Amino acid sequence: MRPAKLWRLARANLARELGALAVSASGVALGIGCLVFFLALGSGLEAVVHDVFPVSTREVEVVVPSLAIGSLLGEAKLDEAVLTRLRKIPGVIVAYPKMSLRAPAVTRYNGLFFGREIHMGLEVIGSGLPPELVGADARLSFEDKGDENPIPVVVNRRLLELYNKVFAPQRGLPRLTDGMLVGFQFPVELGRSYVAGKTMPNSRETSLVLVGFSDRATLGGVSMPLSTVRRINARFGADAETYSSVLLRAQSTEEMPAVAAAVRRMGLELDETERNRALQIGSAVELVTLALGLLAALITALAAVNTMQAFYASVRERRREIGVLRAVGATRGDVAGVLLAEAAATGFAGGVAGVLVARLAALGLDRLSRTHLPDFPFKPETFFHFEARQVLLGLGVALAAALLGAFLPARAAARLDPAKALTET
Amino acid sequence: MSLDPAISLVGVRKHYPPREPGMKPQELFSDVALEIARGEFVAIEGQSGSGKSTLLHILGGLDRDYEGQASVLGLNLRDLDDRELSSLRHLTIGFVFQSFNLLPGLTALENALLPDSFGEGIPDAARRAREALDRVGLADKANARPAALSGGERQRVAIARALIARPPLLLADEPTGNLDAQTGGGVIALFRDLHKDGITLVVVTHEARVSRAASRVLLLRDGTVTADPAMKEST
Repeated sequence: MRPAKLWRLARANLARELGALAVSASGVALGIGCLVFFLALGSGLEAVVHDVFPVSTREVEVVVPSLAIGSLLGEAKLDEAVLTRLRKIPGVIVAYPKMSLRAPAVTRYNGLFFGREIHMGLEVIGSGLPPELVGADARLSFEDKGDENPIPVVVNRRLLELYNKVFAPQRGLPRLTDGMLVGFQFPVELGRSYVAGKTMPNSRETSLVLVGFSDRATLGGVSMPLSTVRRINARFGADAETYSSVLLRAQSTEEMPAVAAAVRRMGLELDETERNRALQIGSAVELVTLALGLLAALITALAAVNTMQAFYASVRERRREIGVLRAVGATRGDVAGVLLAEAAATGFAGGVAGVLVARLAALGLDRLSRTHLPDFPFKPETFFHFEARQVLLGLGVALAAALLGAFLPARAAARLDPAKALTET
Repeated sequence: MSLDPAISLVGVRKHYPPREPGMKPQELFSDVALEIARGEFVAIEGQSGSGKSTLLHILGGLDRDYEGQASVLGLNLRDLDDRELSSLRHLTIGFVFQSFNLLPGLTALENALLPDSFGEGIPDAARRAREALDRVGLADKANARPAALSGGERQRVAIARALIARPPLLLADEPTGNLDAQTGGGVIALFRDLHKDGITLVVVTHEARVSRAASRVLLLRDGTVTADPAMKEST
């Protein structure tokens, strides 16, 4: 039986039983709507997690073990020699060394801050990054320009988000954007610590200039060019030779296990704090998405049962018609095929409706979020991320549910005794 | 070498299961023997419940629950599987029912085309369907749905559906039973024309006017088929 002819027969029946089939399609639509809605919500939340904790599957942060026999023997350190060895690990395409600002530094700001008078003193926590790691995130030059010039710094985007959503509202300070802050200078005193309450003999005042925002910057402080940090550390007699960590980037995700193993063989460790946090939150989101997806699957399963009942009723009502089909040459398979084509159309219609319902519900919830939820940190524009594969999955599940639901009725129709079907009233 | 008869029944028995445990099976036919030559127009009469429709269903391969041997155009029906029987009904046997049995969602033309949906389809089906509708006088109602047609028109659409594959054998079950005298007369005239064209017709009926149109009349009574003594066999 050719598909076009099969469809012609199925379409005629669908038009006739529109009401009953609309009920079946509605059940499928509800289940698929929930499924696609929850999957899109899960994807949206995962995107938020990725925004808050941007981790790459091709990168690892190498650190010296916090407690190891090697470190006691003075072997485990991240110096130039180790950096060279790290760069030679098969699969590693680039290694970015990072160095903590080991000399004390403070900032004291007294004056107008975007129209508000503020008085603030803070300990500066800094780290040094190679300029090529920051890349285009720096909108102004991120190079060390020597003692006489302001020190360029980049700040983590998450810090700006926390400032805007938590700190600024609490202190009555203005909300700031990247554009407002780039080029902003604030004073810094190197060689002084408020916490330790001491000022080193060769302390000096200079300023920091914000040149951009980058996910590569340290979360709790500012990031300077690596050579600047090395210079400051040396000036104050701090360790300017060993790195605090090295970021390794592998050729591909598949090579990461081998790279990680090679790092461990060198007596070094991987700092997976950020990655683990992201993975934990990501796993929690996945778990909730899975649970909600199962709920949607349950609804879809009930829709399949509803479809089964509707098609059993349809077969009972159409016994004589089925007998006629058999009398004019339909095989059992043809009869089942007509029923299953009707089910497929019902499922597809339900699936399309479900996807639309999910999309509309997401739009509605995003609108509610914008108008009724407080502006908390990392609040996304949308909580949903609809992907083509989710829509395809929804349509596939809708088709499968309808076909599964109609399978037994179709089989019963195919097995009808045509002679009895034609004589029964 | 002579051709096989269109239909041959030898020792056909049919019974229904007992209504209650312990009772005997209900016998419908005890020993039906029948031979119908190709090109014959045979009317089978019998009282209501005598098994006329069941006999027709056995001849059409729709009812396989019988004993004995039934052959159609030289094919022993019991030797055919479901697919082969479907193919036989598709291309070789046309069915016409008392209650028309048109699919309400399809137009007259689409109903006439229904057999084209199955198997390998019907060659040049659209043209044949239009010709069949034209032959039964419904060329102008091709796009009408059954609900918009009269009883006689529906039956003629059903006949067009039975003719689209140009089958050599037409089985009709009380084809005029639901029609008024004038409309029924039109259907009988159509059957006469088909008979002249060489189609073998087996019509189950209880109407004398149908029997009068037939070349041979058989009576199904007391579980057997006999020639109707009241009717003169024509040649």
